[in-house]
Amino acid sequence: MITVNDLHKSFKLFAKPADRLLEALTGRARHATHVALDGVSFQVGEGEVLGVLGRNGAGKSTLLKLMTGVLLPDAGQIHIDGRVTGLLELGTGFNPELSGAQNITANALMLGMTHEEIDARRQAIIDFSELGDYIHEPLRTYSSGMVMRLGFAVAIHADPACLLVDEALSVGDGYFQQKCMKRIREFKEQGGAILFVSHDLNAVKVLCDRALVLEDGRVVHEGDPEGAANLYNRIMARQAEEEEGRHQARQHGAYGTYQVEITGASALGRRSGSTTLSSGETLEVSLDLHARQALEDVALGIMIRDRFGQDVFGINTHQRQGPFRLTAGERRRIHLAIEAAIAPGKYTITLALHSGDHHLDDCYWWHDSALQFEVAGYLGPKFSGLCRLPCEIDLNASDQGLPEKEST
Amino acid sequence: MLNALQPRLAGWRAQLPLIWHLARQELVDRHKGSVIGKAWTLIGPLINILVFVLVFSRIMGARLEGFGAEIDQYTYSIYLICGILAWTAFAKSLSSITNLYAERAHLITKVKVSLKALPASVLLAESIIYAISMAFFAAFLWLIGFPFSAWWLGVPLVFALQLAFTYALGLLLAILAVYLKDIKEAVAVLLPVLFWTTPIVYVSDILPEWVMGYMRFNPIYQLVDAYRDLIMYHQWPGGLGLIGVALATLALLLTALWLLKRTERDLRDCL
Repeated sequence: MITVNDLHKSFKLFAKPADRLLEALTGRARHATHVALDGVSFQVGEGEVLGVLGRNGAGKSTLLKLMTGVLLPDAGQIHIDGRVTGLLELGTGFNPELSGAQNITANALMLGMTHEEIDARRQAIIDFSELGDYIHEPLRTYSSGMVMRLGFAVAIHADPACLLVDEALSVGDGYFQQKCMKRIREFKEQGGAILFVSHDLNAVKVLCDRALVLEDGRVVHEGDPEGAANLYNRIMARQAEEEEGRHQARQHGAYGTYQVEITGASALGRRSGSTTLSSGETLEVSLDLHARQALEDVALGIMIRDRFGQDVFGINTHQRQGPFRLTAGERRRIHLAIEAAIAPGKYTITLALHSGDHHLDDCYWWHDSALQFEVAGYLGPKFSGLCRLPCEIDLNASDQGLPEKEST
Repeated sequence: MLNALQPRLAGWRAQLPLIWHLARQELVDRHKGSVIGKAWTLIGPLINILVFVLVFSRIMGARLEGFGAEIDQYTYSIYLICGILAWTAFAKSLSSITNLYAERAHLITKVKVSLKALPASVLLAESIIYAISMAFFAAFLWLIGFPFSAWWLGVPLVFALQLAFTYALGLLLAILAVYLKDIKEAVAVLLPVLFWTTPIVYVSDILPEWVMGYMRFNPIYQLVDAYRDLIMYHQWPGGLGLIGVALATLALLLTALWLLKRTERDLRDCL
């Protein structure tokens, strides 16, 4: 059970450290103030997972540090029943010269465990970390993944009443991440309270019962994770827009002959109306063309790429409708509706205007990563992998087709 | 009064395993990976004692008056060791406590640890070194047939006072050092000054009268003198000096605790 009541925290920014001491002693202000948290209140019950979303600098880390007691609040109360363990201090106190087993003791002591508790759980920790005989080797011989595994294993076995999870989890390989997630879910089922801080909207949607959104140190939303994720997206979109305004000047990363150009472009989910959509939702791409001169042979192409720059899907109008023509000065809007049954993640859309089937002869306009969108969560049936392929499954196929064998 | 003390004591007890672990880290784990490992913890103090004994009795032949001929050639060594072991414990503890918060920032900013309890780990480690050194020293005294007495029991008491004094002064400096980086440098420069102005390697008789008048106010002199009284002269040290040290300790401690209470929130932000 975690109860946080009207928490305030601001940081004082000083020109030099000595000013800080003078102010602390005399009480005369010598600083500029940065408000990190401004009246934050919430509760996390037993067996509940509360997600915390917010962009960088919204106050998430400060909140976690206040909860672990590393920082002290200006005003407000934090009440936590039992021990609180953060996964933010994975591996605190690790000494590279000591063996993994000895480091378990070091780290566990830092987390506030007693020697009896450590001895009782040592084997469980070693098993969870899957380090096997490596546990007796010095830590300096470990890979960073192994160190992380050991750190997580200790933290999760510290038997806290409350767990604070942050981005620390996003390191490590997929297999171990899943194992951690499973362990966190078990912890929740046993009645532990979890505060889950992440940028990973999928994880928040899957894991959390409720979520709150922090913005400029205030709670701007508290409720179901879906709504929180949407609000978070809107905040991020606003930030992106602001940045876009700044980048407008150099934004025309487009090249080509400019005989025809794209003057406006948008890619939005049909249901969400934003650049974040669920997998399986229809992605609406609208493009405004402006021809500077008359052209006989024009094709529009788009390419969706994932965050690794891999081509996921591309198509051009030549393949479908053949070439179209534009008169001088003509403005035209082209609309594409794509069923985005692709894996959650971030994608970019590259736009091109060219002649024929490809851009190698006449390339009028080419703009890499002109648009961006994110897929989060699933609409309709879930799937694994890059994309959903049409698939029909018949669970009772054997009954009909095959002759019965050895009927007695 | 007792009821108010209870939760505080419980708080300290909860920190004990951590303090013990940090002290162990200083003493033992530091040598991990070296061939003889833990033995280094013993070798340092042993070599120190041997050097003081051999160099100053056998090679330089320095002596003090007042003991039997057998022991006479060792008197300067004994005089020196009494003072220098206590000094080393004080100086090393003080300088590491002064830098403690900056040095342990990675810990303080990650896990909840009491700022008041942290210096205790340094004192614990240095106390163990001191105890080991004193054991070697006692063995040496036994070898040369130096008379022992019940006054030795006073040594732990005086050392406890020294620890309290070091803690109080160290805590105060450690807090200030977070805000003023100069403190660390100043301590590094001033410790040798204190060492050479205190009669540790030389005998207080060689100092002019007026300097000795001020020496009363030097807590380290009072402590070192007390060890010598107990070990060499078999007498209870002149009471007033140690009471003065105790009062100074109390004053420093109250100042440090007041300062910590006043600035802890800022201090943690600062690290």
